[in-house]
Amino acid sequence: MERTELLIIGAGAAGISAACAAWDADCMDVVLTDRLPYPGGILPQCLHEGFGLSAFGKELTGPAYAERLAERLTCTGVRFLPGREVLAVTKERTAVLSGSGGLEEIRFERLILATGSRERTVGSLALAGTRPAGMFTAGQAQEMINLHHWQLGDRIVILGSGDLGMILARRFTLEGKQVLAVLEQEAHFGGLARNYHRCIEAHHIPIRYRCTVREIHGMPRITGVTVEDLDSGERELLPCDTLVTAIGLVPERELIRGLEEAPWLSLAGNCSRVHDLADSAAAEGAKIGGQVGKQLVK
Amino acid sequence: MWDFDVVVIGGGLLGCFAARNLCRRKLHIALLEAREDVCTGISRANTAIVYPGYDHKPGTLKAEMTVRANAGFDALCRELDVPFSRCGSLMVSYGEKADTVLKKKYENGLSMGVPGLRLLSGEEARKMEPVLAEGVTSALYAPTAGTVNPWKLGIAACENAAANGAELCLNTRVLGIRKTAEGYRIETDRETFSCRAVVNCAGLAADRVQELLFPTPVHIAPDAADYLILDRAAANKPTHIVQYEPEDGGKGLSVVPTLEGSLLLGPSERENEVDFAVSEEGLSFVCERAALVLPGLNLQDTIRSFASVRPNPQNVDGSSIGSFVIEHPGPAFWSLIGVKTPGLTCADELGRYVADRLAAELGAEENPAFDPHRTGIRRVRDLPLSQRAALVRENPDYGEILCHCEDVSKAEVLEAIRRGAVSVDGVKRRVGAGMGRCQGSRCERAVMELLAEALGVPVTAVRKDGPGSEILEGSHGKD
Repeated sequence: MERTELLIIGAGAAGISAACAAWDADCMDVVLTDRLPYPGGILPQCLHEGFGLSAFGKELTGPAYAERLAERLTCTGVRFLPGREVLAVTKERTAVLSGSGGLEEIRFERLILATGSRERTVGSLALAGTRPAGMFTAGQAQEMINLHHWQLGDRIVILGSGDLGMILARRFTLEGKQVLAVLEQEAHFGGLARNYHRCIEAHHIPIRYRCTVREIHGMPRITGVTVEDLDSGERELLPCDTLVTAIGLVPERELIRGLEEAPWLSLAGNCSRVHDLADSAAAEGAKIGGQVGKQLVK
Repeated sequence: MWDFDVVVIGGGLLGCFAARNLCRRKLHIALLEAREDVCTGISRANTAIVYPGYDHKPGTLKAEMTVRANAGFDALCRELDVPFSRCGSLMVSYGEKADTVLKKKYENGLSMGVPGLRLLSGEEARKMEPVLAEGVTSALYAPTAGTVNPWKLGIAACENAAANGAELCLNTRVLGIRKTAEGYRIETDRETFSCRAVVNCAGLAADRVQELLFPTPVHIAPDAADYLILDRAAANKPTHIVQYEPEDGGKGLSVVPTLEGSLLLGPSERENEVDFAVSEEGLSFVCERAALVLPGLNLQDTIRSFASVRPNPQNVDGSSIGSFVIEHPGPAFWSLIGVKTPGLTCADELGRYVADRLAAELGAEENPAFDPHRTGIRRVRDLPLSQRAALVRENPDYGEILCHCEDVSKAEVLEAIRRGAVSVDGVKRRVGAGMGRCQGSRCERAVMELLAEALGVPVTAVRKDGPGSEILEGSHGKD
């Protein structure tokens, strides 16, 4: 069994920042692990700009931001174990990692969970209608388009006007697809004002407030959705060939279920609470990493 | 001469088990399925309960078969290497009228020899299952009730039949059946099959398939039902199957702790729907009933909802038929028409029943080479860590986890594809990738790439489930 003073699970903005800060606090025994084969977590698929204003003093794209974080990481002696799924964390302070190189058991003194968040899915809405092909979560769509250059569909409906929903609406538009509507159940867009201006307004994408999807149509492929106006109760069929849901993020804490109160555990980034900006997740990671690092050195 | 001794029409649970049981004889079997995979119709969506058998009229075939099938279910699942949980069931009631119904079912069960039945007071029931509602007045406890994954059971039977020599013909839709001097000719959209005997297990189309050659006194009036699935992390899940018998005699509800760890709630009931579309009313019905029986459940924990279709058998006058319909309209021609609950429980029994009679008709000998055992796909999740580590050393793909919710490795996905999965849902049905709380949003891309590579097609041709369900590029060029 391997041993380390500090194990950090998740090498996104928060995890990398925590690892670097712990190292800077003179903690010389830090292991950082991630299920992806590269550092940066979700950042490499965020091709848009808007990252790093507070951390690096200039606006970067997601990949550029990830690159800077990765550079900082390589300047430290943090051991980075990419391509590993953490199968379990035990109350005896061990973690079991699975990768194609084998299973590894790591014993740690302190653990920082930086596992980010997962998306709420259309399944959780329990909508009426069929269950056809052509439905994606926003993050899934973003990964397919930006990292794999796949084409999802031509006539898109996006449910949810959070940052992810609005950024994706622009992405589809830039790809030459038609975003028929961004639907928002509230009377105001959900994400940051700057994303509204840059994505929705600048590209004249129709956004419909106080609206939601009630039913899915089409089989084997989606052919439309029933949209309900939440104020009037009126419903209409909106034909489309793709539905993207951007209906919120859930902090990913499954690994520590039952261990939430453990004194050796800290949470950083979106697994702690969902942050609006990667910068603020990174800042939280740095703060927690620094604190934990100092405590371990004492 | 014939191409085959027996052609089984329909690759659902019943067809797969008919084929498997026919393989116990020296018979050359073909299993015809219209779609690209087995168990994609009625068999892929139902309540997943292995019933104890107290529900049916004593002396009927349905009652006898259910009790016998239940008793043999552990052995069957061991042979086929399919997980089975004998978690027991509590049928709960509210009020005197419903209590009387339970008492009747209890006596019914006793007379048929259903083992271990007990009538409990509301208090006793809550002791056994603390999440039950306060208002429950009595419960019928059946320790032999259990749950099995329906499509996993069907796929296992199909694999076992194939290993024993049955030929699986997918994407083969039956268009016509003709009687010949020696047997039958079956015309399909691909080729023509000549055979000595036919077993019709065509599910929702079973009445129409029989009508291709013989009149049928039975017609299928499909009805639809809706279900919800709650996340395995949901609080206040029961550990037993909980069934609810309403005081007003209306439709109840079943709540099943599944083998995947999730909780299945349903079904609602609707008429004449065949498109597997979920209805809003159906879902609200399920939610309403669930709140009555298990008030601690939080339906915000829903990860999926789906609809099933049941093949209700009816007489020509429209009256419904309560028993299994096993038709024998011509020599060496058998039909299972409108088999619904407890069709999952009785799938192997029904297959055996038809196979035995058909074998007698054909004078077929026992097949001494028949091997009832099948090995399932090894799931890393179910292994102790030491064995799991050994497996990864042997094959690194077992270490690469693709489905984070259900802990499914790349090696398992590849094995699912090797065994016949040709779509994302085919992989999901075999190894569970995409069945968890993120509903495939994190693993679908990786599964699509593996499917494309293994099938030798571009990723744009990868399907969710069946023709026309290509996941990428919208309706581009496919209209």
